[in-house]
Amino acid sequence: MRKTLALLVASTALTATLGFAAWSATRESPRPVAALSEDGTPALPLILISDDDDDDDRKGLWGHDDDDCGDDDDDDDDDGGCRGGARNPAPAGSKLPPQNGLFGTGAPPQVQVN
Amino acid sequence: MKSLLATLALTTALTLPGLAVARPVTLTTTLSSYGGDGAYLALYVTDPSGAYAGSLWMAGGKSKYYEHLTDWYRATGGDTAQVDGITGASVGAGRTLEITLDLADALFDAGYTLHIDAAVEDMRDSPNEVAVPLTTKGAGTPVKGRRYVASFAYDM
Repeated sequence: MRKTLALLVASTALTATLGFAAWSATRESPRPVAALSEDGTPALPLILISDDDDDDDRKGLWGHDDDDCGDDDDDDDDDGGCRGGARNPAPAGSKLPPQNGLFGTGAPPQVQVN
Repeated sequence: MKSLLATLALTTALTLPGLAVARPVTLTTTLSSYGGDGAYLALYVTDPSGAYAGSLWMAGGKSKYYEHLTDWYRATGGDTAQVDGITGASVGAGRTLEITLDLADALFDAGYTLHIDAAVEDMRDSPNEVAVPLTTKGAGTPVKGRRYVASFAYDM
Protein backbone atom coordinates (compact mmCIF):
# COMPACT_ATOMS: atom_id res chain seq x y z
CA MET A 1 0.00 0.00 0.00
CA ARG A 2 2.80 2.35 0.91
CA LYS A 3 4.59 1.44 -2.21
CA THR A 4 1.55 2.26 -4.36
CA LEU A 5 1.12 5.55 -2.57
CA ALA A 6 4.75 6.43 -3.16
CA LEU A 7 4.42 5.67 -6.85
CA LEU A 8 1.30 7.83 -7.11
CA VAL A 9 3.03 10.75 -5.41
CA ALA A 10 6.07 10.44 -7.65
CA SER A 11 4.06 10.32 -10.87
CA THR A 12 1.91 13.26 -9.75
CA ALA A 13 5.00 15.30 -8.98
CA LEU A 14 6.51 14.46 -12.33
CA THR A 15 3.33 15.36 -14.18
CA ALA A 16 3.02 18.63 -12.31
CA THR A 17 6.61 19.57 -13.09
CA LEU A 18 6.28 18.86 -16.79
CA GLY A 19 2.87 20.47 -16.97
CA PHE A 20 4.06 23.64 -15.31
CA ALA A 21 6.99 23.92 -17.67
CA ALA A 22 4.74 23.56 -20.68
CA TRP A 23 2.23 26.03 -19.32
CA SER A 24 4.98 28.56 -18.64
CA ALA A 25 6.25 28.27 -22.16
CA THR A 26 2.85 29.09 -23.58
CA ARG A 27 2.51 32.07 -21.29
CA GLU A 28 5.66 33.81 -22.56
CA SER A 29 5.05 37.05 -24.29
CA PRO A 30 5.37 36.67 -28.06
CA ARG A 31 8.63 37.86 -29.59
CA PRO A 32 8.97 39.39 -32.97
CA VAL A 33 10.34 37.05 -35.56
CA ALA A 34 13.38 39.23 -36.04
CA ALA A 35 14.27 38.93 -32.37
CA LEU A 36 14.50 35.18 -32.52
CA SER A 37 17.86 35.30 -34.21
CA GLU A 38 19.23 38.34 -32.47
CA ASP A 39 20.63 36.58 -29.47
CA GLY A 40 23.36 34.72 -31.22
CA THR A 41 21.41 31.56 -31.67
CA PRO A 42 20.96 30.32 -35.18
CA ALA A 43 17.89 31.50 -37.00
CA LEU A 44 14.93 29.22 -36.86
CA PRO A 45 15.01 26.73 -39.65
CA LEU A 46 12.75 27.76 -42.45
CA ILE A 47 9.82 25.50 -42.97
CA LEU A 48 9.73 24.33 -46.52
CA ILE A 49 6.15 24.45 -47.62
CA SER A 50 6.93 23.30 -51.10
CA ASP A 51 10.21 23.10 -52.90
CA ASP A 52 8.81 22.86 -56.36
CA ASP A 53 5.63 24.85 -56.37
CA ASP A 54 5.93 25.70 -60.02
CA ASP A 55 6.18 22.07 -60.90
CA ASP A 56 3.21 21.00 -58.91
CA ASP A 57 0.88 23.90 -59.31
CA ARG A 58 1.46 24.71 -62.91
CA LYS A 59 0.85 21.54 -64.80
CA GLY A 60 1.72 23.08 -68.04
CA LEU A 61 3.46 21.93 -71.13
CA TRP A 62 6.83 21.82 -69.47
CA GLY A 63 8.38 21.77 -66.05
CA HIS A 64 6.29 18.96 -64.59
CA ASP A 65 8.11 16.02 -65.97
CA ASP A 66 11.66 16.67 -64.93
CA ASP A 67 11.75 16.35 -61.19
CA ASP A 68 15.04 14.55 -61.43
CA CYS A 69 16.59 17.53 -63.08
CA GLY A 70 16.46 19.75 -60.01
CA ASP A 71 14.47 22.85 -59.33
CA ASP A 72 12.97 24.41 -62.40
CA ASP A 73 12.45 27.76 -60.82
CA ASP A 74 15.99 28.87 -60.40
CA ASP A 75 17.36 31.16 -63.02
CA ASP A 76 20.89 29.96 -63.05
CA ASP A 77 21.97 28.36 -66.21
CA ASP A 78 24.54 26.05 -64.75
CA ASP A 79 22.40 23.17 -63.68
CA GLY A 80 23.07 21.20 -66.79
CA GLY A 81 20.46 19.95 -69.11
CA CYS A 82 18.88 16.69 -68.25
CA ARG A 83 16.97 15.72 -71.34
CA GLY A 84 19.00 13.01 -72.96
CA GLY A 85 22.02 14.07 -70.96
CA ALA A 86 22.38 17.22 -73.04
CA ARG A 87 24.25 20.04 -71.41
CA ASN A 88 23.11 23.61 -71.57
CA PRO A 89 24.65 25.41 -74.52
CA ALA A 90 27.53 27.80 -74.11
CA PRO A 91 26.17 31.34 -73.92
CA ALA A 92 26.86 33.89 -76.60
CA GLY A 93 30.25 35.52 -76.30
CA SER A 94 31.78 32.56 -74.52
CA LYS A 95 32.44 30.65 -77.68
CA LEU A 96 32.52 31.20 -81.42
CA PRO A 97 29.29 30.51 -83.29
CA PRO A 98 29.05 26.99 -84.70
CA GLN A 99 30.73 26.37 -88.02
CA ASN A 100 27.48 25.64 -89.83
CA GLY A 101 28.24 27.70 -92.91
CA LEU A 102 25.69 30.35 -92.00
CA PHE A 103 28.12 32.65 -90.27
CA GLY A 104 31.00 34.65 -91.56
CA THR A 105 34.22 34.91 -89.69
CA GLY A 106 33.66 38.48 -88.62
CA ALA A 107 32.11 40.09 -85.59
CA PRO A 108 30.68 37.95 -82.81
CA PRO A 109 26.90 38.11 -82.24
CA GLN A 110 25.52 41.26 -80.64
CA VAL A 111 22.28 40.95 -78.75
CA GLN A 112 19.98 43.39 -77.05
CA VAL A 113 16.58 43.02 -75.42
CA ASN A 114 14.44 46.12 -75.19
CA MET B 1 59.03 45.46 -107.14
CA LYS B 2 57.15 43.23 -109.50
CA SER B 3 57.10 40.41 -107.01
CA LEU B 4 55.81 42.77 -104.33
CA LEU B 5 52.96 43.88 -106.57
CA ALA B 6 52.20 40.32 -107.44
CA THR B 7 52.12 39.39 -103.77
CA LEU B 8 49.82 42.31 -102.97
CA ALA B 9 47.52 41.41 -105.82
CA LEU B 10 47.40 37.83 -104.65
CA THR B 11 46.68 38.66 -101.01
CA THR B 12 43.99 41.15 -102.06
CA ALA B 13 42.42 38.56 -104.31
CA LEU B 14 42.40 36.09 -101.44
CA THR B 15 41.10 38.57 -98.88
CA LEU B 16 38.29 40.25 -100.80
CA PRO B 17 36.07 37.20 -101.22
CA GLY B 18 36.37 36.56 -97.51
CA LEU B 19 35.11 40.06 -96.79
CA ALA B 20 32.34 39.87 -99.34
CA VAL B 21 30.78 36.56 -98.32
CA ALA B 22 29.35 37.79 -95.04
CA ARG B 23 27.65 40.88 -93.74
CA PRO B 24 26.06 42.02 -90.50
CA VAL B 25 22.35 41.23 -90.43
CA THR B 26 20.07 42.37 -87.65
CA LEU B 27 17.19 40.11 -86.68
CA THR B 28 14.48 41.92 -84.74
CA THR B 29 11.80 39.89 -83.00
CA THR B 30 9.05 41.61 -81.02
CA LEU B 31 6.86 39.46 -78.84
CA SER B 32 3.21 40.11 -78.25
CA SER B 33 1.87 40.68 -74.75
CA TYR B 34 0.67 37.11 -74.37
CA GLY B 35 0.68 37.30 -70.58
CA GLY B 36 3.02 34.45 -69.79
CA ASP B 37 6.60 33.77 -68.79
CA GLY B 38 9.58 34.48 -71.00
CA ALA B 39 9.49 32.79 -74.37
CA TYR B 40 12.08 30.37 -75.66
CA LEU B 41 12.82 31.07 -79.31
CA ALA B 42 14.88 29.05 -81.76
CA LEU B 43 15.90 30.87 -84.91
CA TYR B 44 17.19 28.53 -87.58
CA VAL B 45 17.49 28.18 -91.32
CA THR B 46 16.38 25.56 -93.79
CA ASP B 47 17.88 25.13 -97.25
CA PRO B 48 15.98 25.21 -100.54
CA SER B 49 14.97 21.58 -100.10
CA GLY B 50 13.54 22.32 -96.66
CA ALA B 51 16.30 20.54 -94.78
CA TYR B 52 17.74 22.02 -91.61
CA ALA B 53 20.82 24.07 -92.46
CA GLY B 54 21.80 25.46 -89.08
CA SER B 55 20.80 27.63 -86.14
CA LEU B 56 21.18 31.39 -85.89
CA TRP B 57 20.09 32.00 -82.31
CA MET B 58 18.57 30.33 -79.28
CA ALA B 59 16.74 32.49 -76.76
CA GLY B 60 16.61 30.44 -73.58
CA GLY B 61 19.51 28.78 -71.83
CA LYS B 62 18.10 25.55 -70.44
CA SER B 63 18.35 22.68 -72.81
CA LYS B 64 15.76 20.67 -70.92
CA TYR B 65 13.09 22.89 -72.42
CA TYR B 66 14.30 22.65 -75.99
CA GLU B 67 12.04 19.74 -76.80
CA HIS B 68 9.21 22.28 -76.82
CA LEU B 69 10.81 24.01 -79.76
CA THR B 70 9.50 21.04 -81.61
CA ASP B 71 10.60 21.56 -85.20
CA TRP B 72 14.06 22.68 -84.16
CA TYR B 73 14.30 19.78 -81.76
CA ARG B 74 13.19 17.29 -84.36
CA ALA B 75 15.78 18.59 -86.80
CA THR B 76 18.66 18.66 -84.36
CA GLY B 77 17.82 16.01 -81.81
CA GLY B 78 18.25 18.74 -79.21
CA ASP B 79 21.97 18.95 -79.92
CA THR B 80 23.17 21.92 -77.90
CA ALA B 81 26.35 22.14 -79.97
CA GLN B 82 24.07 23.64 -82.61
CA VAL B 83 23.57 26.70 -80.43
CA ASP B 84 26.85 26.95 -78.55
CA GLY B 85 27.96 30.58 -78.67
CA ILE B 86 24.63 31.77 -80.05
CA THR B 87 22.44 31.39 -76.97
CA GLY B 88 20.98 34.09 -74.77
CA ALA B 89 18.20 34.57 -72.28
CA SER B 90 14.55 33.90 -72.95
CA VAL B 91 12.51 36.90 -74.02
CA GLY B 92 9.68 38.36 -71.96
CA ALA B 93 6.23 39.10 -73.30
CA GLY B 94 6.10 42.42 -75.07
CA ARG B 95 9.89 42.67 -75.30
CA THR B 96 12.00 43.04 -78.42
CA LEU B 97 15.01 40.83 -79.11
CA GLU B 98 17.53 42.39 -81.44
CA ILE B 99 20.39 40.21 -82.65
CA THR B 100 23.11 41.30 -85.04
CA LEU B 101 24.95 38.43 -86.68
CA ASP B 102 27.63 38.21 -89.30
CA LEU B 103 25.76 36.10 -91.85
CA ALA B 104 26.92 34.55 -95.08
CA ASP B 105 25.71 36.29 -98.22
CA ALA B 106 24.99 32.90 -99.70
CA LEU B 107 21.92 32.66 -97.48
CA PHE B 108 20.12 35.39 -99.37
CA ASP B 109 18.23 35.01 -102.62
CA ALA B 110 19.13 31.35 -102.72
CA GLY B 111 15.99 29.68 -101.42
CA TYR B 112 16.88 29.62 -97.74
CA THR B 113 14.11 30.18 -95.17
CA LEU B 114 14.47 31.54 -91.66
CA HIS B 115 12.22 29.86 -89.09
CA ILE B 116 11.36 30.69 -85.52
CA ASP B 117 9.99 28.09 -83.12
CA ALA B 118 8.54 29.46 -79.88
CA ALA B 119 7.57 27.94 -76.55
CA VAL B 120 6.31 29.42 -73.30
CA GLU B 121 5.90 27.64 -69.99
CA ASP B 122 2.33 26.53 -69.40
CA MET B 123 1.29 27.74 -72.82
CA ARG B 124 1.07 26.04 -76.17
CA ASP B 125 4.19 25.29 -78.13
CA SER B 126 4.43 27.12 -81.41
CA PRO B 127 6.65 25.43 -83.98
CA ASN B 128 7.25 27.40 -87.14
CA GLU B 129 5.94 30.52 -85.45
CA VAL B 130 7.63 32.49 -88.23
CA ALA B 131 8.87 31.26 -91.61
CA VAL B 132 10.29 33.92 -93.88
CA PRO B 133 12.32 33.51 -97.07
CA LEU B 134 15.71 35.17 -96.89
CA THR B 135 15.86 37.62 -99.78
CA THR B 136 17.53 40.99 -100.13
CA LYS B 137 14.20 42.38 -101.26
CA GLY B 138 12.45 41.15 -98.13
CA ALA B 139 14.87 42.90 -95.80
CA GLY B 140 13.20 45.43 -93.55
CA THR B 141 9.73 44.02 -94.14
CA PRO B 142 8.09 42.96 -90.89
CA VAL B 143 6.12 39.74 -90.77
CA LYS B 144 3.74 38.57 -88.07
CA GLY B 145 4.09 35.33 -86.15
CA ARG B 146 1.33 32.82 -85.50
CA ARG B 147 1.05 33.02 -81.73
CA TYR B 148 3.71 34.82 -79.70
CA VAL B 149 5.65 36.92 -82.18
CA ALA B 150 4.03 40.26 -82.92
CA SER B 151 6.56 41.05 -85.62
CA PHE B 152 9.82 39.84 -87.06
CA ALA B 153 12.12 41.56 -89.52
CA TYR B 154 15.69 41.27 -90.74
CA ASP B 155 17.76 44.23 -91.83
CA MET B 156 21.00 44.17 -93.76
